[in-house]
Amino acid sequence: MRSLFEWVDALPSSIALRESLNAYPTMLTIHVVSMCLFAGLIAYWDMRLVGLTLKKVPVSNIPTRLFPWALTGYGINLITGGLLLYSQPMRYYGNFYFWAKMALMLVAGINMFWFHYATYKSVQAWDQGREIPLNARLAGVVSLVLWAAVVVTGRMMAYSGLMPGWWNNLNIGA
Amino acid sequence: MMQSFFEWMQGLPFSAWMLEETWASPIIQCAHLVALVGFAGAVLVVDMRLLGRGLIKTPLNQLARELDRWMIWSFVALFVTGAPQVLSTALKQYYSPFFWWKMQIIVIGLLFNFTIRRRVAFAKEGTLGHWPKVVGFLSIGIWTSVSVYARLIGLLS
Ligand code: HEM
Ligand code: HEM
Repeated sequence: MRSLFEWVDALPSSIALRESLNAYPTMLTIHVVSMCLFAGLIAYWDMRLVGLTLKKVPVSNIPTRLFPWALTGYGINLITGGLLLYSQPMRYYGNFYFWAKMALMLVAGINMFWFHYATYKSVQAWDQGREIPLNARLAGVVSLVLWAAVVVTGRMMAYSGLMPGWWNNLNIGA
Repeated sequence: MMQSFFEWMQGLPFSAWMLEETWASPIIQCAHLVALVGFAGAVLVVDMRLLGRGLIKTPLNQLARELDRWMIWSFVALFVTGAPQVLSTALKQYYSPFFWWKMQIIVIGLLFNFTIRRRVAFAKEGTLGHWPKVVGFLSIGIWTSVSVYARLIGLLS
């Protein structure tokens, strides 16, 4: 893993991005705006599942009508996040919050697929009514918590001085 | 006048505390972003609907009424998590053009929302021609530029 990061770090295109004055601010700004599109819509989907809001909207309407937009946001998020990473791999390699964010995204993704291929299969039975099955509500809560944690770890990546002591002791970045 | 007000904010004991306490600023910044996600979703679902996209099977005014309070309360959360940052970095904000643009556009956005956007979204559908589309488009533009300028305060000042 480390040698992969070091290899990218030495690529001319990575160096060019790193040395460009505009690349970092542009990418980070687009990253935040596309996050709003993705996470904003997903948050209201999750809150619909939990039963906090949009109770009169049939549950199955949201995936069909809003997910294409949320996925567009996610795509832009992925590209800009990927470019940020590509431009300074060694800055993030030793960063606890970077790895935490990736792990949290992975778990959030697993939760999403699990929900989609298990719980969501029975959506016809609870599409209109108020009684959302416990599993669906749990998936919603878990998703809300995980995506909020992705946002938090995303912001915390800038604080390289605030990583947990045990992580610093591993000396991964050195 | 304005400058001495910002100098006064910078000099408050609270500002000093924010700067000394290692975790205060990062926690507040993270909370500002979480609040932003709540705000963005509430605004977007209605704006997309105004544009004729998204949840078109639900009546517009029903969606707008439901999400109105989510928009207002997330804005309150943005304010509550934004104001301490203004206090603790008052002089940086004062000298950043992006900060002033952000604040001006926020004021425009709020005025626009409470005078025009809400009225259009709460109105009987199909009576206003293309206006809902214009309003949805403007609203997305306003809040996107607020976010862009906000992010640029930290990056370019
Ligand atoms: C594979 C996908 C992603 C990658 C590789 C990635 C990578 C990055 C990188 C490198 C940064 C810059 C950190 C810094 O220099 O301070 C960043 C910031 C951030 N990311 Fe991501 N990211 C991804 C997806 C996401 C997602 C899905 C979200 C939210 C749901 C998110 C939320 C954030 C936030 C809130 C920030 C901080 C922005 C700021 O400072 O204003 N990221 N990300
Ligand atoms: C009156 C309410 C608000 C106040 C007082 C406020 C204040 C602030 C301050 C002082 C910062 C830190 C800037 C810096 O020095 O880097 C900030 C960051 C930010 N604000 Fe606001 N804000 C408010 C509302 C909003 C709204 C309505 C939005 C979006 C629609 C927004 C989006 C952002 C974003 C995207 C950032 C950058 C986040 C980061 O990565 O740290 N804010 N805000």
